[in-house]
Amino acid sequence: MTQLQRDKTFEPSGVQGKLKIVLHDVSGTLIRALGTIERRGYDYRDVHCTQRVDGDFDLLVHIEDTGGPSNLDTLCKQLERLYNVVSAEKVGRRRHAERA
Amino acid sequence: MTTATQFEKQATEKIADRPAKSGSQLLLESLVEQGVETIFGYPGGAIMPVYDVLPTIPQLRHILCRHEQGCGMAAIGYARATGRTGTAFATSGPGATNLITAIADAYLDSVPVVFVTGQVPSNLMGTDAFQEVDIFGMTLPVVKHSYIVRDPADIPGMVAEAYFIAAEGRPGPVLIDLPKDVANAMTTERHKWRPYPKVKPEMGQSDYISKAEALIREAQKPLFYIGGGIAQGDGVKELRDLVERTDIPVVSTLKGLGAMPSDHPQFLGMLGMHGLKAANYAVQECDLLIVAGARFDDRATGKLDTFAPHAKVIHMDIDIAEINKLRKVDVYLDGSLKKNLEALNPGRSECDDWRELCYSRRAMHEWDYEGAQAKASPGVYAPKLLHDLSRRADDSAIITCDVGQHQMWVAQHCYFDEPKDHITSGGLGTMGFGLPAGLGAKLGAPERTVITVSGDGSIMMNIQELATLFRYDIPLKIVLLDNSALGMVRQWQEVFFDKNYSETNMDDNPDFALVAKAFQIDAFTVTTADEVDVGIDRLLETDGPILMHVKIDPNENVWPLVPPGRSNADMMER
Ligand SMILES: Cc1ncc(C[n+]2csc(CCOP(=O)(O)OP(=O)(O)O)c2C)c(N)n1
Ligand SMILES: [Mg+2]
Repeated sequence: MTQLQRDKTFEPSGVQGKLKIVLHDVSGTLIRALGTIERRGYDYRDVHCTQRVDGDFDLLVHIEDTGGPSNLDTLCKQLERLYNVVSAEKVGRRRHAERA
Repeated sequence: MTTATQFEKQATEKIADRPAKSGSQLLLESLVEQGVETIFGYPGGAIMPVYDVLPTIPQLRHILCRHEQGCGMAAIGYARATGRTGTAFATSGPGATNLITAIADAYLDSVPVVFVTGQVPSNLMGTDAFQEVDIFGMTLPVVKHSYIVRDPADIPGMVAEAYFIAAEGRPGPVLIDLPKDVANAMTTERHKWRPYPKVKPEMGQSDYISKAEALIREAQKPLFYIGGGIAQGDGVKELRDLVERTDIPVVSTLKGLGAMPSDHPQFLGMLGMHGLKAANYAVQECDLLIVAGARFDDRATGKLDTFAPHAKVIHMDIDIAEINKLRKVDVYLDGSLKKNLEALNPGRSECDDWRELCYSRRAMHEWDYEGAQAKASPGVYAPKLLHDLSRRADDSAIITCDVGQHQMWVAQHCYFDEPKDHITSGGLGTMGFGLPAGLGAKLGAPERTVITVSGDGSIMMNIQELATLFRYDIPLKIVLLDNSALGMVRQWQEVFFDKNYSETNMDDNPDFALVAKAFQIDAFTVTTADEVDVGIDRLLETDGPILMHVKIDPNENVWPLVPPGRSNADMMER
């Protein structure tokens, strides 16, 4: 394997998690958030999106990393950097269960 | 502290006696309201309504480049030289796709530019109409924000928001895609957009500031690692004050160059893949890294887990998403870099041995220009030419460059005393950037000498912009370092691919001086070292645009070189 090939191979770190993202209702809103998640190195396991009465969206995603440096806190901050993202946070199992 | 970072569309404001205006008119008037003076653009079908109104707005100077990529990169050069937001126009379809490289360049280098594209009429969108592409979708990963205009009444608020977003916080590109029917539609309405508050800290928490100060006081081997954020955060003066107050040595990324004057006694030079030895060794050995406006880019860090292995880290950045992204930090200060730099006051660092070590190393590895030139004689040794050129140009000269070996030589050998002096495509590394960025910079800062350093590969990527120089008589000074090769790639082939020189030879280049003359640009060729001085004089003294074509040795390489994926301690040398 050449050095260049080695640079490209990475092992998934197995990071998994659920994020709750609140999106502002403007064009491109959902695809911008989902695109960011995928580009930053995560696969979706489950995506659930509902529009709220105020027009904003609640987006719940279950994700798993596909390799490379991954850190869900960084991902949340990268999502929050988007102009139409109101908030992005990790949700723990327990909180999720309570909600359900 | 709360800063308004988003606007929100509000109810329609209907005012009966407001004159009906078209979307195009509202767009251009809104640009004037945002203080826009110069637009770099290229017309076409879908954006014709805008160009139809343009001549009626004398406040707007339109520069017709000869390729939309040229427009975009000129807008970037303009923005980087002025510190203001740049503006570029293109039509739908191929015009818009031609802008994408510039949009990506602005994104990766955090440059505020608003890009306006024409789009096919709304009723044809989604039908694969002539010259329809989903530029909104195509650019999603490389914009800070973007819009499709659906209603002309949105335009004034949207444009205000676009310029706000492009410039606030960590700057970046914003795209406005304007369908032709919306540009033509007349309206008496204006939708109001009200600021929508997103809470952002103004500066780091005070206890974090105390913690950072304590770390600096304790450190035996502290080091500043600075980047492009210093200039973007308007923190140059505050950085220099802090550096001098603490008396700690400094290294810089490619984009941080100029934040410390190149000849400052505490400045060790650029770090990273083509960094200076004193800088890379200092990073490897330091016990505290004070990172300001830099983001641990792989070209700067080399193999990340070997980067500054003994150091604690203080990270200051306005973009909280950069903190802990690649390197875990001990203390971070988010919010305004300027304010954080100003607030830090740990006193003078007691690290005399360390200072001594850093500065003696720098002296030990000082460049031997005369010796290297003597070896290259009678040919031209490009680093010496660049070194001499930048010292002979006036202090306020701006250098823009292309991408390749010549770009690294500019970074290593030119003198910069403020960050705006050095306009380079750092994040995207875009060949073809130098010439349009140079013309944009010169239009933005006409009082300053602007020099573009390009390579024989790079210049061909936007050579059509020589016509723009001629059309507007823009006195840009171009130095073309011609090694008849894609030199940087050739160097990697030499070093990492067993000298398998696949597709990097360009010994069939055109006669560049003749090409420039065909564009009615003054030009001359330098082939030997003894012609260089006179050549530099002619370049600097000529009033109009001029190109100095310099033939250099195809085998000359950039040193030191850290192989990709290796530690910065593993610097290869000639
Ligand atoms: C648009 C684009 N295509 C390809 C590359 C890859 N690349 C990086 S440097 C380089 C060679 C540049 O040649 P030249 O402009 O002659 O500069 P030199 O290295 O010879 O000084 C190439 C092809 C790039 N950076 N940008
Ligand atoms: Mg070359």
